[in-house]
Amino acid sequence: MTSTLEQAPPTTPDRRTRVARFLADNGALVGLVVLCVALFIATPDFLTGRNLLNIGIQVSTVAVLAFGVTFVIVAGGIDLSVGSVAALSSMVSGWFFASAGLPGWLALLAGLLTGLLTGVVNGLASAYGRLPSFIATLAMLSVARGLTLVISDGRPIPTSPQVSFLGSDVGPVPVPVIVLVLAALVASFVLNRTVVGRSMYAVGGNPEAARLSGLPVQRILVTVFALSGLFAALAGLLLAGRLDSAQPQAAVGYELDAIAAVVIGGASLAGGVGRISGTVIGALVLVVIRNGLNLLNVTSFWQQVVIGLVIAIAVGFDVLRRRTRTG
Amino acid sequence: MTSLRSTATIATMTALVLAATAGCNRESSADASQPTVVLSLSTLNNPFFVELRDGAQAEADAKGADLQVVDAQNDSATQANQLQTADSASTDAVIVNPVDSDAVGASVTALNGSSIPVVAVDRTVTGADVASFIASDNVAGGKQAADALAAAIGGQGQVIVLQGVAGTSASRDRGQGFAEGIAAYPGITVVAQQTAAFDRATALDVTTNLLQANPGVVGVFAENDEMALGAVQALGDRAGTDVQVAGFDGTTDGIAAVQAGTMVATIAQQPGDLGKLAVDAALAAIAGDEVEATQSVEVVTVTKDNVADFAQ
Amino acid sequence: MTQQPLLTLERVSKSFGPVTVVSDVTVHVHAGAVQVLLGENGAGKSTLIKMMAGVHQPDGGRVLVDGRPVQLPNVHAAEQLGIATIHQELNLVGSLSVAENVMMGRIPTRFGLVDRRELRARARAALDLIGLDVDVDARVGDLGIARQQLVEIAKALSVDARILVLDEPTAALTRRETENLFRVVAQLRARGVGMVFISHHLDEIAEIGDTVLVLRDGHAVAEVPASTPEDELVRLMVGRSIDEQYPRGTGPVAEGTEVLAVDGLSSAGSFSDISFRVRQGEVLGIAGLVGAGRTELLRAIAGADRYDAGTVTVRGRRLRPGDVGAAVAAGVGHVPEDRKAQGLVLDASVNDNLGYATLASTARMGLVDFAGQRRRAEQVAGTLRIRMHDIDQPVRSLSGGNQQKAVFGRWVIAGSTVLLLDEPTRGVDVGAKVEIYELINAITAGGGAIVMVSSELPEVLGMSDRVLVMRDGRIAGELSAAEATQDAVMTLATRDVAPAQP
Repeated sequence: MTSTLEQAPPTTPDRRTRVARFLADNGALVGLVVLCVALFIATPDFLTGRNLLNIGIQVSTVAVLAFGVTFVIVAGGIDLSVGSVAALSSMVSGWFFASAGLPGWLALLAGLLTGLLTGVVNGLASAYGRLPSFIATLAMLSVARGLTLVISDGRPIPTSPQVSFLGSDVGPVPVPVIVLVLAALVASFVLNRTVVGRSMYAVGGNPEAARLSGLPVQRILVTVFALSGLFAALAGLLLAGRLDSAQPQAAVGYELDAIAAVVIGGASLAGGVGRISGTVIGALVLVVIRNGLNLLNVTSFWQQVVIGLVIAIAVGFDVLRRRTRTG
Repeated sequence: MTSLRSTATIATMTALVLAATAGCNRESSADASQPTVVLSLSTLNNPFFVELRDGAQAEADAKGADLQVVDAQNDSATQANQLQTADSASTDAVIVNPVDSDAVGASVTALNGSSIPVVAVDRTVTGADVASFIASDNVAGGKQAADALAAAIGGQGQVIVLQGVAGTSASRDRGQGFAEGIAAYPGITVVAQQTAAFDRATALDVTTNLLQANPGVVGVFAENDEMALGAVQALGDRAGTDVQVAGFDGTTDGIAAVQAGTMVATIAQQPGDLGKLAVDAALAAIAGDEVEATQSVEVVTVTKDNVADFAQ
Repeated sequence: MTQQPLLTLERVSKSFGPVTVVSDVTVHVHAGAVQVLLGENGAGKSTLIKMMAGVHQPDGGRVLVDGRPVQLPNVHAAEQLGIATIHQELNLVGSLSVAENVMMGRIPTRFGLVDRRELRARARAALDLIGLDVDVDARVGDLGIARQQLVEIAKALSVDARILVLDEPTAALTRRETENLFRVVAQLRARGVGMVFISHHLDEIAEIGDTVLVLRDGHAVAEVPASTPEDELVRLMVGRSIDEQYPRGTGPVAEGTEVLAVDGLSSAGSFSDISFRVRQGEVLGIAGLVGAGRTELLRAIAGADRYDAGTVTVRGRRLRPGDVGAAVAAGVGHVPEDRKAQGLVLDASVNDNLGYATLASTARMGLVDFAGQRRRAEQVAGTLRIRMHDIDQPVRSLSGGNQQKAVFGRWVIAGSTVLLLDEPTRGVDVGAKVEIYELINAITAGGGAIVMVSSELPEVLGMSDRVLVMRDGRIAGELSAAEATQDAVMTLATRDVAPAQP
């Protein structure tokens, strides 16, 4: 009789499961440390101040992109459009500056607004249009990339000084690193401290329970995707700033890097679990691998194999984590 | 009920979208007397192919042909579908710039069967007949780049190579030409070869990383201008002074960089000429004239000395 | 009956962890006879059935088929021995045809292709066995539930089932459909098929059964003929003094003010024209059979589902249909039917789960009030005696009773004054049940009002000040605590015509 099938009272987990749970919860951090130690041993060029700053710059785009995706994945969805939205936002910003003659800071704002708007469209389609977010954002991936090409006619557009500033240095510190840190703090604050952030965990964990508790699930979903679009736009502007131009083919395929970073960082694709700190670590893992493979001059064919394996291992941790939770 | 209604909605939307896009594409309505030439490009997501299209368009307008341009978005399957669509009575000739030389073979064979002449441009077609193959000589261009870079660094020092998308023929040929060319300079060593996937942002990161491991580098060869510009970005002030960068393609941005001195050279393919020649070959094939099986478009080493001729 | 039983469960026992759900029970299934299993939810009926079906294996005792001991390690083994079970959740593929469903796993082929003619012919033969007249090419999903059930019975018989186990087959059927089913059962009995029958409808037992095994708390209490009067069956089933188990006083001392008014509420296909009032300090029980529309009604009041007509008013404020947030703001709290699927975010902490309803209302400028939330959660967890290591552990790791208290606690923190309880003690052990009943009393004593839907009739009778009985989506009658007896409720719940409004 299921009705009398009570769960056994909680018992102290034995040591094996405790170790398994620690590894599962901190797998990305352990992996990152192992990776860094291995690279430190393999090449003297890895652990230098300059190289670490380089890694900081290189991680900025994918990490900022991944912050937005973290919101979506925590809320139980997926956002495949972030790479295209990043490109579109930087292109719109560039167009307003170069072709429409808007002041640089207004053009920058227009870029951010573009990301926000595409995110709202994604959110409306998935929350009210009842499209699976996979489909809604897949459509947006194509539409946003197409609009980028329409606006640019396939050619790069120079960016405003304000956007270029995002790619420069302030004293010894690169601006992308500063932006990365600020974005991480904001994203973490939103996720941990605000009502909408905490609601994301409930919506991702069990949308029906969240709804029956009186949480405005649909409004939360729209906010989630809007945030994802906004962070994608910021990532796009960062990338444009580093290249001093908005590229029509910028950030192609970056959505997969962003999702990989989030998952490596310990979020569950099933929703309800994920942290910004984890996402930073996940993005670092990806970038450090690429950096290390460059330093070691590993051929490009093998690089793809290595990165694929890392993602597979990370998803394996996700499965392990869920097993230790329920087991 | 609801599913019926949503099906109807989707059908209506699809029809609207189709109608709208049809309206966008057919800016000039085809005249029956004009020969119709379909230009199937691997991608328009790259200035090189945009310039190729522009050259072809200008020539078609001048010769009174109706040019229909389709973009395969770097997807062989999309290109196959587009070529299948082109295989119709209203098409007189097809110019194809394959996404993949092998994959396009079957589609071109079908066009051969319909007796529609096919001209290949930039990349060749394997396993089917083409009336003409028009391309820049990538191997020769690679050699020219090696010479230009060697001259700029005085035949001495370490250089790095930024490779294109692994496995593409452009990357293979340019890399091979560069390797052959640079072998003539015993003072120069290639200390690293890494892919940056023909992408500017990737090249920025990869070059930054490579400079970390090889601080003494004095030259960079990139297999296209986009990557060369990424390398310039990574080098910052050192570009054009301590470190010389040579690119390939002669895109607008690349030419501008040569003019500004941040790049020492680019190998100008002349994409506009590629497009122009392709249209000429296609029209000649329609008319039944003799067409040369292979036509090379000159690649030109663009340096500070002759950049004025290329700048727009 | 002296003939050898087809199937015997001999002195079987079964425990899940520390809980013994079946203890030393013997059941015989004879050819050409219908053995009824009767008992409250949790008495052990489903576990017995699952032992017959090979889903559960007994911890003690033996299973005998034709007098020989057998092992039933899985469903397939049971089927091999001719034991077929028709579960409440039918085991059919809605998108396939009747013929394909009947012949599932045994589709005839010719030269590797499906032999459609043979497929139809064999399926037709199977349907004819029970006189079921449906098109073998119809999609099963397009058939009504009653016909789907008969298709499944035909499917079972076509694999030579000699023992047919029917788990609450009439729960979702209309009276006409039930009669049709009973005609098929009578035919099968005449053909020598042995059957096991579970039903909560006491009136069906005399009509269909031969012998009745009454179960209570996992024990066999008595085996009696199906002709035994219903009162006697209920006495055997419940067996204990209801007053002790249900600590409800004699109802509200004074007439409280009206807090919830439902007027003419209708939702196509679920319920229609429902009106009632609930006062402060009152528990209104809603009884009825599964499928009578009780859960749907409760969800509509809570704003979880939209409705077609009517109004819900809480303390004079009319609620917007389909808006849970508005209902919560008006003081409505909803403890849903399935706490794991609808009530809790299982991987989130107890603290988080207790706070969802008050997340926004206690926030300042969009920022969560963490300190206050923790204080409130710890306080309410203490009051409700939620047993846990600490308040940050995932709610998943709590026992069913404590999980249920966490759902209650959410509304206690929110200060909800109208609680809608859907099966509040389902899957909760006896001790926690009493604690939940005491909580209900505490809420009403504090001026709250409660609407409680429960399929456990003794619970409805023991805890309600008034009982509404629903049948086929309508109110069949209203009974005061004094009038409400098993018989009175069941009479209303199973009567064919809907009586006038109360």
